[in-house]
Amino acid sequence: MLQASLEFLKREFFKYYYENISRLVPPEPIKSREFGFFLEKGRGMFRHKCFNSLRDFHEFILNEIPLDIYVSAANYEDPGNRDMSEKKLVNAELFFDIDAESVATVSEEESAWICQKCNQYGIGLRDGCPSCGSPTELVRLVSEKQLNGALRETEKLIHVLREDFGIAPENMRVFYSGNRGYHVHVNQEDFLNVTGEGRREIVDYLLIQGLDEKELLNFLKRGVSIEGVSLKGVKRRVYMRVLEKAGSVEKLKTSRRETVLKMLEDAVEELKVRIDPVVTIDMHRLMRMPESINSSSGMVKRRIRLEDLPSFKPLEEAIAFGDEETCLKVKIAPRFSLGGRAFGPFKDEEVELPAYAAVYIVCKGLGEYAGR
Amino acid sequence: MMSENVLRAARYPFLPETREFVSRNIDLSLESLEKTGSEAALKRAVERVKNALIFKEVKVTALDELNYVREMLSFPIAIILVSMIMNEYVRRMYALGESRGAYRRMLNESDETLLYIGEKMGVGGVLDDENTIRVKIPTYLKLAYSFHAPHWKLVNRAVNNGYVSMGKTEYARLIQVEVNNYVYEKTLEPVPAGAVPDSFRRAVDEIVEVWGRLETGKASRVPLREREDTPPCIGRIIRRMENGENASHFERLVVATFMIARSRSIDEIIEFFSKQPDYKYSVTKYQVEHLAGIRGGGKKYSVPSCRTMLTNGLCYPDEYCKGIKHPLRYGEKNVAGEPRVP
Repeated sequence: MLQASLEFLKREFFKYYYENISRLVPPEPIKSREFGFFLEKGRGMFRHKCFNSLRDFHEFILNEIPLDIYVSAANYEDPGNRDMSEKKLVNAELFFDIDAESVATVSEEESAWICQKCNQYGIGLRDGCPSCGSPTELVRLVSEKQLNGALRETEKLIHVLREDFGIAPENMRVFYSGNRGYHVHVNQEDFLNVTGEGRREIVDYLLIQGLDEKELLNFLKRGVSIEGVSLKGVKRRVYMRVLEKAGSVEKLKTSRRETVLKMLEDAVEELKVRIDPVVTIDMHRLMRMPESINSSSGMVKRRIRLEDLPSFKPLEEAIAFGDEETCLKVKIAPRFSLGGRAFGPFKDEEVELPAYAAVYIVCKGLGEYAGR
Repeated sequence: MMSENVLRAARYPFLPETREFVSRNIDLSLESLEKTGSEAALKRAVERVKNALIFKEVKVTALDELNYVREMLSFPIAIILVSMIMNEYVRRMYALGESRGAYRRMLNESDETLLYIGEKMGVGGVLDDENTIRVKIPTYLKLAYSFHAPHWKLVNRAVNNGYVSMGKTEYARLIQVEVNNYVYEKTLEPVPAGAVPDSFRRAVDEIVEVWGRLETGKASRVPLREREDTPPCIGRIIRRMENGENASHFERLVVATFMIARSRSIDEIIEFFSKQPDYKYSVTKYQVEHLAGIRGGGKKYSVPSCRTMLTNGLCYPDEYCKGIKHPLRYGEKNVAGEPRVP
């Protein structure tokens, strides 16, 4: 990224933070959280930072204009300590990450490849450069289709958290990550002290890993109706789904064991909630700060109210910047939609785009700022 | 005074009412324990600890219950004796013995009594219908994580609206874990101030002698000292196992494959595993040989990768873990790793 592009980003980010700083409210108590920042492109994370007050936190952001802002899911006695074990973990929110990539893969026409070595590029997903053969850098745009899949997955997660885990809606906060996923933060007193091992069990429950299929299979093969098996939780859900698939109890009895097993496996595939296990198990995880800019896209990690979830439009509602025309030199860009408008495709051309789309292209590394 | 409640207090001496009864009626300072002629209680206390070491279970007979003052008093004395021995293995075995005994006795209790004990031990629980008790999910996760059978996994449980349902036996098993934790914590507390009476010293000697006799015949303990190149994740499991803590199947696999990779002999490894509460020579030998590739398909198992350790909740990295992807590479690199952010 050219210096001019970086300065352009910093200017735009400053405008956003200056206007919206009051929206950046870290979870309480702020004193016990660790913060992390990416301050410059290509530099490591600046972490182990802590703040005494909301005011100090806001001041830091407006002074530094970080590219990315993170806050710990955990509360610590000494959050600023550089030694992880010396931080003294008190407890931690439950944190779930649903990555759009794990739900559906991005399509060729929503991606681009760039060879840094010989400066070749094109649309599509190419691992190796056609002219020099060296590995390429793949740029995946934010795909609406993928995000829709991830949103359905998020709704599944919320359903299970409510129904099975008894998490009250007011203790759940749902976010669009600003790029290619959704986050759910759970801040409910009795779950804060669940250890890493316990979180592993929650993850296995959501991913339906380690399910005792034999028992279910035996019930199913004997053609026991759902009233006949006093099942609860995920087992019940799987059982019901298989019954639905089969159409009738009778059909199950006459089907081959392998056929029923296949139905069972399919039901598990449909019902499992595709969260990233590592994120939830790790109590020391840093979470992207709500309402902060995601520098992989220039969009905001946006809070979504539960009732708005079904109709949420990430590519319109998470826009952070204005629409002043901005001049860009675009290397390559597949066709994309943002803020309710469609752009591109572009190749080796100078274009004028609204600021939000210009930031997006620069953040994705597909073009450079070319003056106003 | 001889009510059902007193018998219950004698049967479950870890309950708060037993503590109250003892502190109300008996001076627990060491000098006065000696003076009040509590030899009977001291004798019973020694028996408690010996029971735990020999049979891995502290038994309480109907006759013991009838001698309720002696019985109640013997529990805090036994804890003092175990604290005096200052050995981690003895502590673990005593806690296990007391909790196992309590578990057996709980199986014969009414729903009401069982829930009462659960309540007092902080497990909580709601009786749904006959034979079904509900426990809050976080409590369940805290207590059940040490069980490794598939049916204890949350995914296989009846989970609904924040609760896990179970039968009485399983509920008693959860309480057992909490009793075990409680007794163990108690043995870590310092011995009451004051000169230790001779009778207590003799009691400790008696226990140590029995313990020594149980140890003879076993090969002299090979010190499996942690070496400097043992990664923290594996060092942590080894330390816990050395203290007789029950390790999961996966944790055992990690330690065994690690020792094989470090060229430990099969006998050395088996000897190390002999400290596990559920140790069986033949089973351990078979499994270790299998992992070493001596049995089965001849496939030698490798130590799980860092990522696998992490997803199993066993990764406790230190600065020398930076930049490595496998525990055996520990300490080889020390470069700043990628920050862990989603």
